[in-house]
Amino acid sequence: MGKYVLKRIILMLFTFLVIISICFVLVKLLPNKPAQQFGRDMQLIEMRREALGYNKPLLEQYLIFVRKSLIGGDWGVSEVLYTGQDVWQKFIEKMPATVIVNAYTMLFSIPLGLLFGIYAALRKNRWQDHLISTLVIVFVSVPSYVYAFLVQYFLCFRLKWFPFQMAAGYDYLSFKTFISIVPAILSLGFGTIAGLTRYTRAELTEVLTSDFLLLARTKGLTRAQTTVRHAMRNAMVPIFPMILGEFIGIMGGSLIIEQIFGIPGVGPLYVASITAATPDYNFFMLLSAFYTFIGLASGIIVDISYGFIDPRIRMGSKKA
Amino acid sequence: MKRILSVFLLLILVSVAAFAESGVHTYNQAVSVFPTTWNPFQTKTAVDSGLMDFLNTSMYTFDFNEDLDGYVQEPLAAADFPVDVTDQYVGDTWGIEAGETGRAWKIPLRSDLRWEDGTEIHAADFVYSAEKLLSPEAQNYRANTYYSSNLVIVNAEAYLKQGQVGQVSFNNVMDAEKIEEMQAFLDRFAAEKGWINWAASYGDTYDFASQKWTGAAEDKVVETPLTVPELYAFFTEGAGAEFCTWADAAQKLEWAGEELYINYMLFPDAITFDQVGFLATGEDELTLILAKKLTGFDLKYQLGGLFLVNRDLYEKTSSVKDGVFTSTYGTSAETTISWGPYCLSSFQSDKVYELTRNPNWFGFSDKEFEGQYETDVIRVRYVQEPSTQMEMFLNGELDTVGLDRDTIEDYATSDYTYYSEGDSVFAMAFNPDMDGLKHAQSVAGANINKTILTLKEFRMAMSLAMNRAEFCTAAIPMNQPAFALFGNQIVADPDEGVFYRDLDEAKQVVVKFWGLDDEIGDGKLYATTDDAVDAITGYDPEQAKQYFDKAYDLAIEKGLMKEGDTVQITVGTTNATSAFNNNGYDFIVNNYTEAVKGTKLEGKLTFTRDSTLGNGFADALRTSRVDMLFGVGWTGSTFDPFSLIKAYVTPEYQYDPAWDTTKAMLTLELDGVKYTANISTWYLAMTGNVVKVSKEDGTEAELDIRENQQDRIHVLCACENAILQNYDFIPMMGDSTAALKGMKVEYYLEDEVFPMGRGGIRYMTYNYDDAQWEAFVREQGGTLFYK
Repeated sequence: MGKYVLKRIILMLFTFLVIISICFVLVKLLPNKPAQQFGRDMQLIEMRREALGYNKPLLEQYLIFVRKSLIGGDWGVSEVLYTGQDVWQKFIEKMPATVIVNAYTMLFSIPLGLLFGIYAALRKNRWQDHLISTLVIVFVSVPSYVYAFLVQYFLCFRLKWFPFQMAAGYDYLSFKTFISIVPAILSLGFGTIAGLTRYTRAELTEVLTSDFLLLARTKGLTRAQTTVRHAMRNAMVPIFPMILGEFIGIMGGSLIIEQIFGIPGVGPLYVASITAATPDYNFFMLLSAFYTFIGLASGIIVDISYGFIDPRIRMGSKKA
Repeated sequence: MKRILSVFLLLILVSVAAFAESGVHTYNQAVSVFPTTWNPFQTKTAVDSGLMDFLNTSMYTFDFNEDLDGYVQEPLAAADFPVDVTDQYVGDTWGIEAGETGRAWKIPLRSDLRWEDGTEIHAADFVYSAEKLLSPEAQNYRANTYYSSNLVIVNAEAYLKQGQVGQVSFNNVMDAEKIEEMQAFLDRFAAEKGWINWAASYGDTYDFASQKWTGAAEDKVVETPLTVPELYAFFTEGAGAEFCTWADAAQKLEWAGEELYINYMLFPDAITFDQVGFLATGEDELTLILAKKLTGFDLKYQLGGLFLVNRDLYEKTSSVKDGVFTSTYGTSAETTISWGPYCLSSFQSDKVYELTRNPNWFGFSDKEFEGQYETDVIRVRYVQEPSTQMEMFLNGELDTVGLDRDTIEDYATSDYTYYSEGDSVFAMAFNPDMDGLKHAQSVAGANINKTILTLKEFRMAMSLAMNRAEFCTAAIPMNQPAFALFGNQIVADPDEGVFYRDLDEAKQVVVKFWGLDDEIGDGKLYATTDDAVDAITGYDPEQAKQYFDKAYDLAIEKGLMKEGDTVQITVGTTNATSAFNNNGYDFIVNNYTEAVKGTKLEGKLTFTRDSTLGNGFADALRTSRVDMLFGVGWTGSTFDPFSLIKAYVTPEYQYDPAWDTTKAMLTLELDGVKYTANISTWYLAMTGNVVKVSKEDGTEAELDIRENQQDRIHVLCACENAILQNYDFIPMMGDSTAALKGMKVEYYLEDEVFPMGRGGIRYMTYNYDDAQWEAFVREQGGTLFYK
C-alpha cells in the first residue's frame, strides 16, 4: 500500500509539473500588451514590463517561476487584478468565504441526497420513486444559477426571509452569516442533492436485488437491518468517494453563485486572471497550481479511500 | 412544528435586520465593478478613481455658476488661483527665455489642509509625492500625468526615464542629438545595430539570413543583423526599397527616418529631483515650472489632479523585491488615509466599503460648504447582477440603480428615471487599405472580394444603410444614435463654457456630412440649421441602395471585383461573450443583408466574424486581419477636443492605416487669408505649435494660432469635417446612461449641468434619515413602486 501511495505521489508530482509547465507556456502566449490608449505612455508601460521580466526569453521566465514560486513558494504580486497585492495572501483572504458556503452546502445536501436516494430505492417503481426521480432529473438538468435567481426572487425579494447578499465581514461562523448564505446553499445544494439521490438510488437498487440480500432476509434479518447493515455498506463503495470528492471540491468556488449572492470568494478569480485586459500571470499560475494540485491529490485520496471502504479493493496485498 | 418554524423565521428576521440609526443619512449604492487599488499613482479604472475622489481634495474644482446652467472653476485645496511667476525662473536651468509667460506658476495652498488623523499637510508633502510618483524604480502607471498631457513639468519625464535605453526612431535621435543631415547621423551611429518596426513597414517581414520575404506579418520593433547604414541602404535602395512599390524614392527616404530605429538613451542618467520643476517655495506654497506654456482653464484643470500620498504610510507600504517595486498603498482601509471629505472606514475586498465623513477635512468647518455634504455614510456594495441590484433597490436597500436593456422599458417614463449623456462617440471603423485588403482577399479564397471597401461610395452606402436607432435598441438601448465625431458634452472653449456642438460652425460640419447643407434656408426643406440637425437620423436606405449600386459598378469598372464575386467583410470584436458584441454583430449582418436587397449586391454581401481580438482590435484592423469594427472610439479630453483630434489623424492612433494625414491637404481661411497645409500640420497648429503653412500665392508662412480660440475652433471644425468625409470612421452612437433615483434622496438639480451632473454627493439632500427610511419602506409593504 505504502509503495502504491508513494508511486502515485511521484506520478502526481510529475503530472503536476507537466500541467503547470503547459499552463505557463500557454498563458505567456496570450496577447499581453495593454491596448494603445489616448494619453497612455507605452514607453512607461514597457519600462514596467521590463522590470517585471516580461521581455526575458520564455525559458528564463519559466526557470525564474520554478525557482521563485514552485520551489520558493513566493507567488508574487498581482499586476492587474489587485495591483500591488500579494496573490497568495489575496487568495487566502478570499478562500474562507468559498469554503464556508460549499461546506454548508455539503452538510446540507449529503444527508438529504442519501435519504432521498435510499427512500427512492426502497420505494422502487412506486409513485414516491417516480416523483423523486422526476425531480432529480429536473434538478440535475437545470443549472444552479437558474435556481439561484428563483431562490433570490422568491425568498429574498418577495418573502424577504433572507438578505440578497452574503453578510459583510469576516465572521464566517456567525449565525448572521449563515442566514445570509442560506439562499446560496440552497441554490448550490439542489444539484448536489439530486446527483447524490440518483447515484444512491441506482447503487442501492442494484444491491437490494442481489442474492446476498435475499439470503440475509431469509436468515431472519428485518428489511431495515439488511438495508443499513448490508445494502448500504455495499452501495457506499462508489458513493463515498463521490462524497469525498465533493468535500475536496469545496475549495473550488462557483463563479455564478458567488456572483449572484455576493460571496467574496475565489470563484471568479481564475476566469478574471485570464480575461483581464492583460493576463494576471501570478494569479493565473497560483490558481492553476493550486487547483491542479487539489485535483490530483483528491484523485489519490479517492483511490486510496476505496481500499478503506471495501477491503477487497486494497492494493499491494501479496496474499491475493 | 409550526412553532419551531415561527421561532426559526423570527431568528432569521432578527439576525438579518440592521437597525437603522436615527439622524444618520446613508447613501447606499451598488457597483458591478469593485475598486481594487486607489493608490493615486496606480489607479487604472474609473471605479478606482471614483473611490479616490472622496479621499482626496482637488486643487481646483468645478461648481455650478450662479444661474445653475454652467460651471465655474474654484480653488479647493488651493487658497487661490495660480499666479504666473515665469519671470522669476528665466534662464538655462529651466529653459525659460525672457518675455515668456505661462511657464511657471505659484500655487498658494490652504493652511488648514489635514490628513484624516489630523496631521498637517504642506507643500513639501506634494513635492515628496511628485518625487515618488516619478520614481524611476516604481514605474508608476500615472507618472505620465506630469509630462504627457498639457501639463508638462520640466524634467519630469527625464527624471522618470533617466538612463533608459530603448528603441528610438532615427528621426527622434536626430532631433535629440540636433543632427540635421541623415548622412551625418549614419556616420555617427555606423557601428550600431539597426532595428526595424515591422508593424509600420511592408505588412511583411524580411529574413536577413536567407535574404527572403517570409510572408508573415510582425507587429513589433525587431533588431536586425545589419548596422545602421546597412539597414538604411536596405530600406531606401535594397530589397526593402524594391518590395515597397507603393512609395516613391522621396517617401522611402522619409519613412526610413520614422520606421528604422536604434538602441538609444533618450534621457541621460543622473538627473536629481531638484532638477524637476516641482518646488515647494514656501511652507504652503508650491511652484510648478512647465516645459510647455499652460494657462487659463486648462492650467487649473490640470492642476486639479496634483498627487498627494501620506509619507509615513507610503514608506510603510512600499517595497522593492528582485528589482520590482510594489506598493500596497490604497488597497485596504488600513493602507488608506484620506485628505478628502470622506474617509474609508471599512473595506472588504469584492464585497463592500463604507465611507464616513472626515472630521478633519477643512470643508466641514468652512462656511462656504454649509448645507452641503449631508450624507454621513456612503455604503458601496459589490452586486454584479443587474437583476439583484434592481430587487435590492425596490426593497429600499439601494438609493440608485442603473437601468439596462431589460429594465429600461418598464421605467423609461418614470419620474424617478434620470438620463445622463456621456462624452464618447462610438463608430464603425473600416480599413480601406488596398494592399491589406488584397492580401486578406487572397487568403479568403476564390470569388471573395474585399477591395470594394477601398471605394468611398461603398463606405458611404454602409453609413447610410445603418439604422443607428435600431442598432442602439438591439445592442445597447441606453445609447443614442450619433451623427458626428464629437458628442454634445465636448467643450470647445472651456474658459467660456462653450460646448462644441452648440457652435454654428460645428453644426455646419454635421449638416454637410449628412448632405443637408443645401437644404437649409427660406423655402427649403429646413428653415434653420438646428431644424436640419434635429432631423438627422443617419438612416437613408434608399440613398444607401443607390450608393451600393454605384460602388458595385465602380468596383467592376475598376477591376476590383468580378460579377460573380461575393463581398465578404470580416467584422472584428473583442470577444464572443459580451452581449453588445453578439447583439451588435447579429444586427449588422441582418441590417446590411436587408439593406442590399434590390441592389446589385443583393445576396453578395456577407459577413464573417473574428471574436478573438481582445485589446488588439485596433491593430487587427490596421493590419487587415479584420475589415470592420463597430462600437469603437476614443474617450476623454472632454475639455480639449483639439488634442483629441490626435486620435484620428496620427498613425499610432488612427484606425485607418491607409489615410496619410501628412498628405491630405486642407485649405482654410483665417482672418481673410487662405492657408494650405496637411491635416497633420493643422492638428499641430491647434495644439499649441507654430507651424509652417503655404499661402495662396505659394509662399510659405509661419502660422501661430495658439492664442486665437476662434481660429483653433475653425481648424477643429475643418479637421472634424475632413475625418468624417473620409468615411473610414463613421459615427454610430453616443454613450449615455439611465438610472433610477430612490425616494430617500434628492438631487440638487433636475437637469444635468456638465461636468457636475446633478450635484453629486456634495449637493445631495435627504427626504428621510436611515430610521425614517426603514419605517417608510416597511409602511409600503417592503417593496417600493417606481414605475
